[in-house]
Amino acid sequence: MESTTLAHHLLLAALVFCAGLTGVLVRRNLLVTYMCLELMLAATMLALVAFSRFNGTMDGAVLVFFVITVAAAEVAVGLALIVALFRRTGAVGSDRLDSLADR
Amino acid sequence: MPDPLFVFIAALTLGACCLLVASRNPVTSAMGMILALVGIAAEFFLLDAYFLGVLQVLVYAGAVMVLFLFIIMLLDVQPPGGAYPWKRALAGGAAFLLLSAAAFALLAPEGSLAKAAGPTPPELAANPESYATAAKAFGRSLYTKYMLPLQMAGLLLLLALVGVVTLAKAPKSAD
Amino acid sequence: MDAHLLHWILLLPLGSAAACGLLLRRRGAAAGILSIATAFAVAGLALAVLAGLAPGQTLAWQAEIGRLGGVPIRVGYLLDGHAALMLFVVTFVGAWIHLFSWGYMRDDGARGRFFGGLSLFMFAILGIVLADGLLMTFAFWELVGFCSYLLISHYFDTDFAPPAANKAFIANRVGDLGFILGIAMCLATYGAADFASLKAAAAAKPAPALLGFLLLCGFIGKSAQFPLHVWLTDAMAGPTPVSALIHAATMVAAGVFLMARVDFLLAPEVLQLCLWSGAAMAALAGLCALAQTDIKKSLAYSTLAHLGVMGAALGLGRADLALLHMAMHAFFKATLFLGAGSVIHGCHHGQDMLRMGGLASRMRLTFAAFLAATLSNCALPFLAGWYSKDAILEAAHGSSIGAFALLALAAVATCLYSARMIRLVFLGEARSEEARAAHESPWTMTLPLVVLGLGYSIIAGTYLGLPAAAVHVLPKPMAFHLGAASAVGLAALLLGLGALRFYGRSSGDALRDAAPGAYRALERRWMDDAYGWWIDRVQQPAIEVLAFLDLALVNGLAGKVLAGGIPALLGAASRRLFHAGSVRANAAWFTAGAALIAALLLGAL
Repeated sequence: MESTTLAHHLLLAALVFCAGLTGVLVRRNLLVTYMCLELMLAATMLALVAFSRFNGTMDGAVLVFFVITVAAAEVAVGLALIVALFRRTGAVGSDRLDSLADR
Repeated sequence: MPDPLFVFIAALTLGACCLLVASRNPVTSAMGMILALVGIAAEFFLLDAYFLGVLQVLVYAGAVMVLFLFIIMLLDVQPPGGAYPWKRALAGGAAFLLLSAAAFALLAPEGSLAKAAGPTPPELAANPESYATAAKAFGRSLYTKYMLPLQMAGLLLLLALVGVVTLAKAPKSAD
Repeated sequence: MDAHLLHWILLLPLGSAAACGLLLRRRGAAAGILSIATAFAVAGLALAVLAGLAPGQTLAWQAEIGRLGGVPIRVGYLLDGHAALMLFVVTFVGAWIHLFSWGYMRDDGARGRFFGGLSLFMFAILGIVLADGLLMTFAFWELVGFCSYLLISHYFDTDFAPPAANKAFIANRVGDLGFILGIAMCLATYGAADFASLKAAAAAKPAPALLGFLLLCGFIGKSAQFPLHVWLTDAMAGPTPVSALIHAATMVAAGVFLMARVDFLLAPEVLQLCLWSGAAMAALAGLCALAQTDIKKSLAYSTLAHLGVMGAALGLGRADLALLHMAMHAFFKATLFLGAGSVIHGCHHGQDMLRMGGLASRMRLTFAAFLAATLSNCALPFLAGWYSKDAILEAAHGSSIGAFALLALAAVATCLYSARMIRLVFLGEARSEEARAAHESPWTMTLPLVVLGLGYSIIAGTYLGLPAAAVHVLPKPMAFHLGAASAVGLAALLLGLGALRFYGRSSGDALRDAAPGAYRALERRWMDDAYGWWIDRVQQPAIEVLAFLDLALVNGLAGKVLAGGIPALLGAASRRLFHAGSVRANAAWFTAGAALIAALLLGAL
């Protein structure tokens, strides 16, 4: 454990974040896009906990607690939106949502 | 060289992430997501954040992902037919590598992880004000220093509940 | 005696309001019974408290309900002599008006809402009565204003009630702005806002005139003093019991009560202002009442006149006389309004006095009560109104001859419009079908009339039937002696008798026939015209300049030129890049932007 430094944890967090970001950028299925968003959030939580641990204070960890709470609320609303969208358009592909396109 | 356990968990988490991003089947993606979240929870354990780890598994890998799977089944999302879009996958992989390189550059300006070793974790203190692992320390923080955010979070959950109920109501008449 | 009963007095109406508003909105009868029962229970409790209170004794209670950034938030009661009198008037008159409402609102479809509003109002006004500090007073002060708004707009589907409610609310806002600034100044000057601390502090360091003036603003708004008096006559758009309870007996008197509570903060300049504006309004409003054909509007002007008299008494430094007049006025003016309500009810909701007439024989009980209250209003010796009004006239005579002349004019005007009202409504021939078909109201409406009118309008001035704890702050009941005040009073009464004959001459309004110019001048609402001029000629152009700036700068420059112009310059490329309409493209741009900001922050660029 002593040889695992803060930088290792942060690197892992960054890689997970980038994986999630890549998913958001390339995936078309809104549900998967949304999962990837949650993955990015989880990555930032990991970074927060690591900072908190290496700083020796509770603040980051408590913030993670709130992030989990807010994320839970956000997931509920987001999924409800996706369901409502599905009802309207009959699909969960993000490429169908182009009514704002300037044509 | 980092702890082998850390390396194993990190590899597991990243593999699960790849599964999540690369799979065409949403159910497989969800499984990858669960695995990744469990991996991050294990990371929390490594960082002595036992309470958060448990919370992560319960709330995220448990409740939230069940919700996702439920919606996937409800909407009956099928994986698209046809050949796997290798071109896009390659573009995605390239984007991932580019982003990771940028992150790595930002994180370790000297370019070497060994050099940017950073501090080692301080000893766990008995003082509840500093970092502690017990749920009790969490509770103390939440109900003293973070009382107002806690109340706001409760309000937010209530609002989310109301919002979901409103959204979930079938529209009375199509306009 | 502890504050236990006071909690019940304050919270019972709140419970009733909540039950009526949340559960009984569609069950008007149940809401009415609950609200009336609550009002009488509160009146009984108040009497019990007052009976247990020795004269001069003060009941205080205080509790800290929370802290905000280290500043304690306290609520508390302070039941001293003034509050005891007000408590009795509010609960006692309020209870009878609740009962009256049962009959008056019998056919109304929204009784649940109405009685809920009445109960909420009782809660609010009792909060003002019991409050031990300016902050708590202000909270309930606002709630009272809100209830008034709610009840004025009871007939919200008419085209006159909502604007009237808005007008009342907005006029009160203007006054309350001064009030809340006054509270802030209190806190800044003395570091406290509860009456006990303020009194002690003001004894050591007299309050600046500005502080008194700011607090006076609250009184001016709530008690409809000049120049914010314009809302009170329009407020008659509400149901008549509301006019009786809120806009005659209690709410408008709350301003007087507040001034009596903080009279130690009023500098001599403020008192002078209060005296002159009050006396002038008393005279003018009394005359304006002569040119109203709507029975309730005429009574509203009469209320304005009496509020002016109370303001003048405050200005004379005689808060005790102002409170005495407030109490007496509450009894007889509530009766007058309830009598008007009974008449309106009998005439199938007609309010035009010129279409009434000859109702004395058809509505005997109503007439008797209305007559008694009118005589009290005219300050017939030994009736309730005489004790307070003559004392105020006497005090004015001793201090300022100009104010005395104005108040004497007000006394004369009172007798004139009272005689006109009696003549037009109750005497002579019936002038319309509705008046011929008028009938006496049910007992729920006549009983309050009898108690308040035949009872309290007559005897209250001798302090009979008032709780001992409430009256010890008031001046001793006067014996009849011939001074300047009583001379004016008797002359006014004789003029009133003359007016009775004068108004008998014509089938319409005799003054309008005799002196149409003077009638129109009195009928015209000068202050409304002045406000209208200000809004049309001053405020509107200023707003149009702002609207133009908004259109030109925000919509035009920022909206059209910047947001629309840059993509237009970039041409078709920008459409494909920025306006692709693809979520993923937007996400990519967002990522790029975030990365750019991160790089800038980290100093990598």
